[in-house]
Amino acid sequence: MSQPERSGNACLNTTDLVVAYGTTRVVEQLDLSVPSGKLTAFVGPNGSGKSTILRALAGLLAPTDGTILLDGRSIDQLSTRAMAQRIGVLSQGPVAPQGLSVLDLVRQGRYPHRPLFSRWTEKDTAACDEALEQTGMTALRERRIDHLSGGQKQRAWIAMTLAQETPVLLLDEPTTFLDLAHQIDLMELAANLVRNLNKTVVAVLHDLNQAARYADHMIMLKDGRVIAAGPPEEIVTADIVRAVFQVDSMIIPDPVTQTPLCIPIPKRP
Amino acid sequence: MTRIVIVLLICIAGCMLAGLAHGDVALSYAEIATVLLQPSKAAPHVQMIIYDLRMPRLLLSILVGGALAVAGVVAQAIMRNPLAEPGILGINSGAALAIMIVIVGLDNVPAHLTPWAGFLGASVMAATIYGLSWRNGASSLRIILIGIGLSSMAGAMTTTLSTFGEIMDVQRALIWLAGSVYHADWASVRTLALWLVAPLALTIVSARMLDLIQLGDPVAKGLGQRVNLVRALMIVLCTLISGAAVAAAGLIGFIGLVAPHLARRLVGPMHRRLLPVSALIGALLVLCADIVGRTVMVPAQLPAGLVVALIGAPFFGFLLWRHRHVTA
Repeated sequence: MSQPERSGNACLNTTDLVVAYGTTRVVEQLDLSVPSGKLTAFVGPNGSGKSTILRALAGLLAPTDGTILLDGRSIDQLSTRAMAQRIGVLSQGPVAPQGLSVLDLVRQGRYPHRPLFSRWTEKDTAACDEALEQTGMTALRERRIDHLSGGQKQRAWIAMTLAQETPVLLLDEPTTFLDLAHQIDLMELAANLVRNLNKTVVAVLHDLNQAARYADHMIMLKDGRVIAAGPPEEIVTADIVRAVFQVDSMIIPDPVTQTPLCIPIPKRP
Repeated sequence: MTRIVIVLLICIAGCMLAGLAHGDVALSYAEIATVLLQPSKAAPHVQMIIYDLRMPRLLLSILVGGALAVAGVVAQAIMRNPLAEPGILGINSGAALAIMIVIVGLDNVPAHLTPWAGFLGASVMAATIYGLSWRNGASSLRIILIGIGLSSMAGAMTTTLSTFGEIMDVQRALIWLAGSVYHADWASVRTLALWLVAPLALTIVSARMLDLIQLGDPVAKGLGQRVNLVRALMIVLCTLISGAAVAAAGLIGFIGLVAPHLARRLVGPMHRRLLPVSALIGALLVLCADIVGRTVMVPAQLPAGLVVALIGAPFFGFLLWRHRHVTA
């Protein structure tokens, strides 16, 4: 799948986006843009609408109002299958059926590329092998998902979305519930996908410092609105952190990567 | 996979032989062989017992068991719930109510219309449950909850009818509901077989969709599946298949729950393998149940549905208990 070379251009855009669950409007008049070929992090407090926005971008949640553009085209005009050929999404806490093997799960990623009655092709096999390789799951391909550790499970699911071979990848809290080592593995994997395969990756993240370290672009959200958007060096400031999280903090350069590092100041020392 | 299928086929063949031999009149295997291989030399009464009585009964058991098992696999995949079975869609309660109305509530309804009434009741019930669960798409949890609610309502109405109905009529209805294959004849075998061909073929073709939808709506949708459409189609298939089985044999519960579980232990959750193996296990279970039912208390015949529940449930419990450490 060739992706139009338009670095610098936004590849996912929303204008006046309104998303509601029933009558509760979670996202109100949202304008945001996700740059292509970059790792973008959505950061914000619980209930800020990060995951909701991600689900709307993925086409899993129909917006109440407003438009979402993918490379300049409204996603309303795309069929579910056409969306799945362009945007891969990893939802929060997916559960595999008992006894499903890693390979069987990864093979599901080929679904949007296979016409209804077509046979499995060489190309499908190649995509699955590549996805397993990227995620380091090749050796575990025959293992049952329900016998894997949390980190391995998450990798298996990411391998499935990679087999989908989409230019855009949306990850909903990919590091939640993982231990530190697996969190780092996962963030490096996401960064590599951007660097080596020129994918556009959007991840909802909880850890501000992790986001600042790995993301090229950050979007800080609160109450369904964008408070700040831009490269981490520009937008991770004490003022913005206070505005978003209501936490006083000190921002220092990360001694390892020089990216901003946020040190919260306790309310009562 | 091939080995499992072959073993199951051998078991089914063995059961069929046993089923031909045992009954009110015991036949020797030599007699059976004569009838099957050299029909001209066989005694006419033996020929009649085998061809007109026992053979259709065995075939009907196989069809009903296979159909219920496949419907169970479909129900479990679209509901994403290991406890789901066709009964969740109201198939059983709908059929039971319709049968009770036709036999007890109405006068002079010809007997051959009873199965159709059962099928109609099952379909109406499934459609109602699905319709009521629709709210920008039908979530599986909503279907399950509404299914339970409507089923118990239908159950209450069935009980009311049977409480106030004519005792003979009620007994006739209850016998029908107990789930049995002893009224089998070639016509019912043929009707059921023809009826099942198309929905079963469609189910096998849809194996890939079932694989995907069992991962859950967000994942399936993210991979390009129109989940509401697929779920609706699968519910129609499930209703066609299990409704027909219920219409042909009455309520044989439990097969739709147990057969897919056993099959999953043998071949895993991918439907290309799961569907055929479940069908064979379902066929084998009903076959065994019917043979046990007509041999343990000769000359009385226990309906297959009761035997399945009496023997199947504890056996299933035992299996779960033995495996409790493996998949907790």
